[in-house]
Amino acid sequence: MKTKTLQFKTFDDITLWNNLKDGDEKSFSTLFEKYYADLVSYGNSLSPYAEKVQDCVQDVFTDIWVYRNGLQSSVVVKAYLLSSVRKRIARLYERDHIFRKTTSTDAIAFLLEFSVEHDLIDDDYATKEKVVHLNKLLNDLPARQKEALYLRYHQGLTVEQIAEMLDVNYQSASNLLHRGLLTLRKEWKGSISLIVVLSLIGC
Amino acid sequence: MQKRNKYTEIEDFLSDESFQSWILSKVDKDGWEEWTLESRQRAKLVEDARLFLLAMQVADSNLSASDIHNALQTTWIKIEEKENQNNSIQDSKIKFLRKYFLSGVAAALIFGLVSVWFYQNQVSPKSNVVTYKELIDENAEGLVEQTNNSNKPQIITLSDGSSVLLQPNSKLSYPKIFTGNERKVYLSGEGFFEISKNPKKPFFVYANEIVTKVVGTSFRVKAYSDQPDVEVLVRTGKVRVKSNDLVSKSNQEEVILLPNQALRFLRSDLSFNKITNITQDETLTRSVGNIEQLSFEFTDIPVSQIFQTIEQAYLIDIDYPKNKLKDCHLTTSLSDQPLTEKLKIVCNSIGNNTSFEMNGNQIIIISEGCN
Repeated sequence: MKTKTLQFKTFDDITLWNNLKDGDEKSFSTLFEKYYADLVSYGNSLSPYAEKVQDCVQDVFTDIWVYRNGLQSSVVVKAYLLSSVRKRIARLYERDHIFRKTTSTDAIAFLLEFSVEHDLIDDDYATKEKVVHLNKLLNDLPARQKEALYLRYHQGLTVEQIAEMLDVNYQSASNLLHRGLLTLRKEWKGSISLIVVLSLIGC
Repeated sequence: MQKRNKYTEIEDFLSDESFQSWILSKVDKDGWEEWTLESRQRAKLVEDARLFLLAMQVADSNLSASDIHNALQTTWIKIEEKENQNNSIQDSKIKFLRKYFLSGVAAALIFGLVSVWFYQNQVSPKSNVVTYKELIDENAEGLVEQTNNSNKPQIITLSDGSSVLLQPNSKLSYPKIFTGNERKVYLSGEGFFEISKNPKKPFFVYANEIVTKVVGTSFRVKAYSDQPDVEVLVRTGKVRVKSNDLVSKSNQEEVILLPNQALRFLRSDLSFNKITNITQDETLTRSVGNIEQLSFEFTDIPVSQIFQTIEQAYLIDIDYPKNKLKDCHLTTSLSDQPLTEKLKIVCNSIGNNTSFEMNGNQIIIISEGCN
């Protein structure tokens, strides 16, 4: 049997957040347990130093608790956490001269590779082929487009939230997403028709 | 679910949570399958969206529940450090003020204090030895006292979930329910403490002349009134030890102990002696109890064995449905938790509404088997 994450009473994020603001440790722990792994994997996509990433995520939570009195009461908790982790890691890059090459938030490269879940599509070879191909196209996208897509469709943030996080206006964020998907679709359609043509010639 | 009829782009599907859970978790609450088959054009769009989603997966971070638990513990320690740091910054601001604006007043005050001290010392030469009885008399408000007259250690669970393994010939006084911003207990003899974490309410153990302060951790205090020294030994977390205000008013003598460090307090001259490597101290290693030797790091271990370890550590009996749980294995880290926390974690990990009841030294596990 695999170890399970302990289940707590399911309060929604904002209730937990406001309880936390009032000094409730249970709520703090619940939010921590709910989001820690996710934040670490997002952090790892921004920095190759896994050890430091965990440190950063813990520091984000430390500050939330220590300065809980100053927290806003209407936030989207997940967006707030992701954004705080991103800022922390950016700060680390600024401060630490091992990372001196880059100096601002937008210079952080999004390193995350989208992956293909093997067992999900093992049964269907044609689908697998397509997914692997699409996956490669996705991973070849410019880092910022990739990050925007990840935040939008994997973390479920809204375009506004992404704009705020990446420190750009709404239109630019929306463009990032749009251009990402457009490239993907174009290249994909292109290669699909190529395959069709090739197989026709083969006949 | 009417909005999906208006979907025209892949993006519309990608951000639809119900669609996501159909594709990724195969949970089709809203009848996507049927809906897709209604129109050929729709089917094409859905297929594209499906492929996009499948290609956009992200590898899970391979953190286990115990990794996350440990991270949470580390974070509480960071919080405590930060809060202390913030406090000391405030302190030093006050000192700054005093130094430059109130130096005259301060000088006068110091002179006054010194004279009072001289006066007190002349008039009533006070003995430096503090006993359990004096401590209790100082703080008499509604304490419960538990004495272990048996010949084996006895487990006490406090109102905050902390556990204390009280050795024979030892006494512990504690409030029935902890109130206020501090948790204070008084010890005579020897006890192994596992404190439930709560940075807002630090936990204090008063034992003879010393005070041990913690937030959440495990450690042993040995303070017999008829012995020349008092010992504190730390297993997990961080512990601060200082002398009781009753013997010295100075705050400076505070020692911080980390895991596997110990401290010996010589009662005769009120001196602290820090031992950074406990394995080299013979008296300390000889007196190590059961609970401190046992490992609570379990990797894929049968539940029966975990219960056995807990039984040995706390000298309790655990009654559990052996047949129902015979194939259950767990991976978990329980080193840093008091008894009730340990039981809670094991029960939760087994799942299926497993729960426990506690009657003194007897624990009963109620379970229908694991998932």
